[in-house]
Amino acid sequence: MSEFARQQDDFQRAILTGDDAVLAEILDSPREQRAVLFGIYRHAYVSRLIEAIRNDHKRLHLYLGDDMFDAMGRAYVAAHPSQHPNLRWFSQALPEFLKSTAPYRDHPILSDLAALETALNDAFDAEDVPLLALSDMAGFAPEVWSGLRFRPHPSAFSLDISTNASAIWLALRDGQTPPDPVTLVEPGRLLIWRRDVAPMFRELSAEEAMMWIRAADGVPFGVLCAALGASGDPDSAAARAAGYLRDWITAGLLTNAAID
Amino acid sequence: MKVVSHSPNAPASPADCPMPSAKPPFLGFGLGLRAQHYDEILNGNPPIDWLEIISENYMIPGGQPLRVLDRIRERYAVVMHGVSLSIASTAPPNFEYLRGLRELARRIEPRWISDHLCWTGVHGTNLHDLLPIPYTAEALDHIVNRVQLVQDYLGCAIVLENVSTYVQFSNSEMTEWEFLSELSRRSGCWLLFDVNNVYVSAFNHGYDPMTFLGGIRADRVVQFHMAGHSHMGTHIIDTHDHPVAEDVWALYAAALRRFGRVSTMIERDDNIPPLGELLVEVERTRKIATEVFSRPDRPVQ
Repeated sequence: MSEFARQQDDFQRAILTGDDAVLAEILDSPREQRAVLFGIYRHAYVSRLIEAIRNDHKRLHLYLGDDMFDAMGRAYVAAHPSQHPNLRWFSQALPEFLKSTAPYRDHPILSDLAALETALNDAFDAEDVPLLALSDMAGFAPEVWSGLRFRPHPSAFSLDISTNASAIWLALRDGQTPPDPVTLVEPGRLLIWRRDVAPMFRELSAEEAMMWIRAADGVPFGVLCAALGASGDPDSAAARAAGYLRDWITAGLLTNAAID
Repeated sequence: MKVVSHSPNAPASPADCPMPSAKPPFLGFGLGLRAQHYDEILNGNPPIDWLEIISENYMIPGGQPLRVLDRIRERYAVVMHGVSLSIASTAPPNFEYLRGLRELARRIEPRWISDHLCWTGVHGTNLHDLLPIPYTAEALDHIVNRVQLVQDYLGCAIVLENVSTYVQFSNSEMTEWEFLSELSRRSGCWLLFDVNNVYVSAFNHGYDPMTFLGGIRADRVVQFHMAGHSHMGTHIIDTHDHPVAEDVWALYAAALRRFGRVSTMIERDDNIPPLGELLVEVERTRKIATEVFSRPDRPVQ
């Protein structure tokens, strides 16, 4: 290791762990002690990363308040040093951290809120691709529809939640007092995507969720109709499937339809 | 060991510049583009000659920021300014980052690409700060090689900015201005002279900012940054969240006299005010330059 590399190693360790060895190689300034001056870097490291989490998780910040959010942020910074040159991706592991780390894991609303905000952030800057239009569907003859496979927009993401995180998120967005957190009897599923430039989400029924997940996996339309017929009224299955498909296309959730 | 023997005013010879690159043009008086001002800039055509973007804010797959940027660049000259190149890091080069930087540059065709003379981390960790370096011959050799690698990859000479520093290393062998001048001479990179950063570092380390100014090769400076800071009594922190300080305005006038007509911009990174407040500062950069050069300034097209 070169002297320059060794010095950077010491400098970084001093910021991350509080090891003061590097201070032996740093000068006092004419007006201030070196320990105070080096402390600027230590403070900036933590505060900048917590600010990045706060920017990405505004509703979670509102929900927890400054003190609890900052304590959570410090714990996350210590557990997940940034591995990416772009701060945009720093808080990507926050939902999993909250789900698996005490005391936050005892409050599943926190990981659900963080997961919803992460999905909305991901939708915001997902790749731009041309959307499938209803008029595009007119180009397919009726006899080929059963073989149609669909491609979801890159921003589209289905999220399983175990709490009323969506209701709490909406209340926080609208400046209202959020309802008490509740664990759902049956896990819920949210569909998150971007319409034009605006990220949005809505709840999925169990049937639509089942169809969406399969459609997003490339299951052909005929198989989707059969699955709906097996799980519900078989006579109206094709009409229900066509209804979901129309809603998805209108909402900008699909980018392509193609036959095998 | 004293490394620098090159006069700061001596023009670079072709042999000095391994990456020959025409000197970037004078763009006039600009502003750092921030998301809070997207609508006002797109709808109002404010009197800004050019805009500087934070590269990493647009190194993303898609969505509104890139769409806005595509529209901005139809109207304004755009410069890319990064914070994560980590040119002085002893860690291996991050080619994934460089690829993203190059892809963005191909999309928006910036007038130039800049970053900072600093490092941001080693061992795969990013501290997201502009960290200081010792001004040693060893560091200089390493960074010259790294700049040349980056310039080869990007296909153009880059622009490097002096950062605000809070500590100095006891093993430094030269001054910051000697280091910057030698780095520019040997690598062919251009220099972004952050007037505020010079003021901050000079106060923190107890030297005269005019000495710094006089020690930089005049022909290598292609951009000025103007920004605010937070004075803590015994030291100054480069917060970029205040208006430009009066002492920094005075240093700007001196920098104009030293370096000539240089593309100048107001850089506010936090506590972002309404666009109108920043336009007042942009206008002041223009007015001071007009006074210094005693004739109207027009951006070079």
